[in-house]
Amino acid sequence: MKRKGIQQMSWKGLAAFTVLILILPFLLSTSLMITKATFAGIYTIVAVGLGLLMGFAGQISLGQAAFYGVGAYSTAILTATFGISPWLSLLIAITAPALIAYILGHTMARLHGYYLAMATLAFGIVIHVLLVEWKGFTKGASGFYGIPKLELFGFTFTQGISYYYLVWAFALLVIILSLNIIHSRIGRALRSIHDSEVASSSMGVDTGRYKMQVFIISAMFAGIAGWLFAHMSYSISPGSFGLDGSILFLTMVVLGGSTSVWGAVFGALLITAISSFVQALGSKISFITSDFEHVLYGLILMLVVIFLPQGLFPAIAAKLKPFLEFTGRKKKSGSITAVKGDQRA
Amino acid sequence: MPDLLEVKNVTKKFGGVVANQGVSFSFESEKVIGLIGPNGAGKSTLFNMVSAIFPPTEGEIWFAGKRIDRLPAFKVSPLGIARTFQNLQVFKRMTVLENVMVGLHTSTSSGILSAAFKLPKAKKEEETIYQQAWEEIEFVGLEDVAAVEAGNLPLGKLRLLELARALATRPKLLLLDEIAAGLNHQETAGMSDLIFKVRDRGVSIFVVEHDMDLVMRVSDRIIVLDQGEKIAEGTSKEVQNDPRVIEAYLGNDEEKEEGTV
Repeated sequence: MKRKGIQQMSWKGLAAFTVLILILPFLLSTSLMITKATFAGIYTIVAVGLGLLMGFAGQISLGQAAFYGVGAYSTAILTATFGISPWLSLLIAITAPALIAYILGHTMARLHGYYLAMATLAFGIVIHVLLVEWKGFTKGASGFYGIPKLELFGFTFTQGISYYYLVWAFALLVIILSLNIIHSRIGRALRSIHDSEVASSSMGVDTGRYKMQVFIISAMFAGIAGWLFAHMSYSISPGSFGLDGSILFLTMVVLGGSTSVWGAVFGALLITAISSFVQALGSKISFITSDFEHVLYGLILMLVVIFLPQGLFPAIAAKLKPFLEFTGRKKKSGSITAVKGDQRA
Repeated sequence: MPDLLEVKNVTKKFGGVVANQGVSFSFESEKVIGLIGPNGAGKSTLFNMVSAIFPPTEGEIWFAGKRIDRLPAFKVSPLGIARTFQNLQVFKRMTVLENVMVGLHTSTSSGILSAAFKLPKAKKEEETIYQQAWEEIEFVGLEDVAAVEAGNLPLGKLRLLELARALATRPKLLLLDEIAAGLNHQETAGMSDLIFKVRDRGVSIFVVEHDMDLVMRVSDRIIVLDQGEKIAEGTSKEVQNDPRVIEAYLGNDEEKEEGTV
């Protein structure tokens, strides 16, 4: 039902994006590019969760890569060491980060100020140390080998097009769930906290509770991404789950913009593209190393914060809007609704 | 039957500054009570304590037979207290309708998971929220701007929006914090009509107001604060003739108020 006055979810945007995802593998020429596009999907899942936390709960997590790592390592250990089905360990890969987030958030006196950023930073470091040192379980810094592939009804998802579609199916699910959340009473409550915490609490919104719930959801999404990552690769190592990774996710969200779900998606895609491009350059030019990549992300982060604090996506959406309205069919009525809806969703 | 609101010997200190000193009053349902006093008399402080923005240093506040002065603000709203803010606290990046929909937050209960998966309960509640929010929008007359982002509205409309949003919580007691501040004559007249309409819905109203014409017209009873203490309470006529009130407002020294009694 079309309702006047609500910033509505843009089903058209979602449909267009889905089509793009479906046809993308046919446009990519090499298997390396398909792998990169698969990674983009995994990162999207983490970034969308972090985007919800930053844009809607107003909190920053510097430990998202650690949740991602908890998801990856818990499934790796459960499946390779204990022989549990990967589909069963998916549940653990989701609930373990959620539980950690609950404990972290709870001890942080219901998430005020920058305490969560500090706590997640420390948590990220602890997890990294654990992954390196707890060799009995994690096999240490050299990495964990022998993670089984995912199988469903006799079909094996191997790295390549099938895994690409699997990852993006999860990513689209995460996007849809997130869009549903922000367009619900919870979403409105979260957005209201962002604009005036005193007013939203006097409307009866338990601000601490919703911040906590979003934090938990962001951890669950990271856990799903970790699970996907582990079963995509034969091996994982602690290097993927350190502070670098957390900063990378943060950069994605800041670059794309945290005030909409699509901003985080856009940021994840863009950073993956930039990273692939830099790595391709690196194979030709000797001074472009992975350190160079980090400097580049730092630079991007600074420039965006200074010049486009809302992120790239809102700016691009605003630029595209007149064009879309000009070429597309004009809406008959409730044009304000339509315009706002497109922007928000 | 207990009084709707009972303020018992309430004192509030900010460091060494005493904002309220031993204030007591109570009132019954379905009345409009005015709260006046010169600048710095402690009206806003008292309001913030009744709406549980912060607790009193000493004393107790009871609402409908329940002690509320130690509760967090979000727990007071479902009991039936709503408020507007003098320094406008609208949700700027949300539409007018969405602002009012936040007011219906506590009358609904679907959680984050049923929202994420769009369970039938969440969908049904969303429909109710939408309908009831529209009723409040119509009540204050903001239909034509319902889809506008609140940050783009002029002050007069924002005051109406805050009223609609507060009403959406279905309050028993509505606190209006200088709801007419910055409004022109016509808007102020419209606002006092609205206040009567709200009272006729069975809502008690507690009004802090600098506009004396407005507060005298709408209030059944008026409480006067000066320098943190209650100095008078009574009908508008009684209060206007009270020598302590006249002194507080006109004063012996230079601390004069622009408002007249």
